[in-house]
Amino acid sequence: MINPATSLILRQMRAPLIVIVTVFSIATLGMVIIPGVDENGQPWRMDFFHALYFVSFTATTIGFGEIPYTLTDAQRIWVLITIFFSVFGWFYALSKIVSLVQTPIFKKAVIHANFRRNLEQINQGFYLICGYGETGQDLVEGLANKEKRCVVIDNNPDAIETLEIQDYLSYVPGLEADAKNPSQLEYAGLTHPLCQGIIAVTDSDSCNLKIAITSKLLHPHIPVIVRSEHHDYEENMKSFDTDHTINPYDTFALSFAMAMKSPALYLLNEWLTGVPDTTLSAPVVFRSGHWVLCGYGRLGKRLFEILRQLNLSVTIIDTIPALKDEFHLSYPDDKTRFIIGTGTDADTLIKAGIEYAVGLVAGSDNDSNNLSTIMTAQMHNKILSIIARQNEMINKDLFIASKADVIMHPSEIVARRIRTLLDNPLLLDFLQECYQQTNEWINITVSSLSGSINELTPHCWTNTLNEVDAPAVHSALSKGRKITLKQILKSPMQRHQIICCLPLMIQRKSENILLPDNSEALEVGDKILFCGIRQAETHVEQCMLDIHTLNYVMSFKNTPDSFLGRVLTGNTRQKRRTDDR
Amino acid sequence: MNLEKVIFSFFMILALTLNFGFFYGDVHNPDHHNVYELYAVIVINLIATIMKFGDRSQLGAMLLATSLVANVQLISAAIVWAVAEHVGTAGVTEATMATIVSLSGGAVLANIISVVLLTLEASMLRH
Repeated sequence: MINPATSLILRQMRAPLIVIVTVFSIATLGMVIIPGVDENGQPWRMDFFHALYFVSFTATTIGFGEIPYTLTDAQRIWVLITIFFSVFGWFYALSKIVSLVQTPIFKKAVIHANFRRNLEQINQGFYLICGYGETGQDLVEGLANKEKRCVVIDNNPDAIETLEIQDYLSYVPGLEADAKNPSQLEYAGLTHPLCQGIIAVTDSDSCNLKIAITSKLLHPHIPVIVRSEHHDYEENMKSFDTDHTINPYDTFALSFAMAMKSPALYLLNEWLTGVPDTTLSAPVVFRSGHWVLCGYGRLGKRLFEILRQLNLSVTIIDTIPALKDEFHLSYPDDKTRFIIGTGTDADTLIKAGIEYAVGLVAGSDNDSNNLSTIMTAQMHNKILSIIARQNEMINKDLFIASKADVIMHPSEIVARRIRTLLDNPLLLDFLQECYQQTNEWINITVSSLSGSINELTPHCWTNTLNEVDAPAVHSALSKGRKITLKQILKSPMQRHQIICCLPLMIQRKSENILLPDNSEALEVGDKILFCGIRQAETHVEQCMLDIHTLNYVMSFKNTPDSFLGRVLTGNTRQKRRTDDR
Repeated sequence: MNLEKVIFSFFMILALTLNFGFFYGDVHNPDHHNVYELYAVIVINLIATIMKFGDRSQLGAMLLATSLVANVQLISAAIVWAVAEHVGTAGVTEATMATIVSLSGGAVLANIISVVLLTLEASMLRH
């Protein structure tokens, strides 16, 4: 079916094309009818072939000259008329056609058609990501660089342009369209059979809600992950079985609580959920004492609650007096001081006790203010621990340069959480288990982890011992062979070497085995969470997929697969079966 | 009455009549087939084709297709004529003429279908 825009353009091209045909045909006819003379002065007439040739090069201003014979004056008069009409007619029509092709509606139609073609070419499961803001960008980067396919829809043309110039490992098609419109979402691939999930991370809660409703109605079986800033929207989304709602403030506060209560756990979380192969974040330790909290907005309230639960003495700084009244209303008995001020000037900070404080939280929603607070505070207290809230991606380098101990970026935290949900849900189970553990246990885990990885953020992955994901191990286990964890952690290149990899957890039925021992025997259906360097992932994968590699690392006798190989080694099919036992 | 419809139908019927005029006559005899007439048929056919651009209906698609077929046939006939006269040494022989005329005969058929479709559409209109 022809596209409506193309049809419109074709209709508008009628007039210029008819102009060309008419002018050319009259000019050609004239050249044929008007008599001329050949080189010997004999009467001669152009035929249609020569006339069309002549008019074509004249009208397009190529102008080869008077060929085949010099023209007579009668012919020249006609050529003069021809030139004025055909050259202008030609340019008029040409410019009209070019401008039609460049109209926004036609360009848009071409872009949409390209998008659709790219979507049809996707032959593996993909995620539909609505909104390509900071969270969306972070999310797409993480997923696309792990060779997961993503499709992006955003109503901001600049965002789609940014996407076009990104260089991801797998191509990410982007559509400039309104995700609130169900037909646009459908066009973007919502009802595509390979669509594995939809992630709504636009900056508007109502838009995200609409996306969740649309996808639950049009493609009910795929998971929906939604970012939501308000609790009432969250409740609304949960009421119709939205799979995951993620509140950036709650997620941020959770991270903050983790950093405060157990820096080691925070570090573990950072390492395991971070973007692989980036620099590892350094461990932090917080001393107990006085804290200064700058910013008492939606996030600041949550952070204060956490600090209060830890029984720390806190001074709050915020510019808005109304928040002070609200604070005293919600905590009537609390002795915490609330200072009205920006927190960026030395006076306010000194009044808040920055000189004897152990920690500072720069948690306002303005990056310049946060940076200014950090720099002023550092001048008055050299050994201050600083937790900084970074609001915009572009300021990343500034925050790193500010030497804040912990830098938290809400959209990055949300992106991380979604990525882990999609990519490695077992890791979330593992982290959940870690919350229950003692600090000592976590410290031991962190140190054994740092032993098996390099200086870069490790890769985390899950292998499921089933027929599809691990055919080699599955078939060996089904034949009754005993395989221990230690055996699959040997290098397929050189089996005496152990690969840089740490099994974090085995999920067996509903039981979670944390940090399993190397002598742990594997069972069919186990889900194993590993963490290690990049090569380790491919090595383990190889053992899982290829029976010969598995036989090699287990020092098991290998048998040739081909008929000739079997005959040469004297292994008949019968004998081979007994070997496999 | 709609002027646009008149012009549209005019060009389509003119394309058919001119085409028939060129086609009519002894197949081999160059005297029966006028080169000016072939030229006029091609020009009118081109205009008729352009006028059918951009119609999204099923009938519009059929009309455009028949016109394109007629154009292909007629332009091939013109190319055969030009090649025979200017490239080859034999000139326009009886056999060449037969080829040209039969090609234009195909175009007549396509143009007839066009006009029939047009008439059908007109008769289906409720007044």
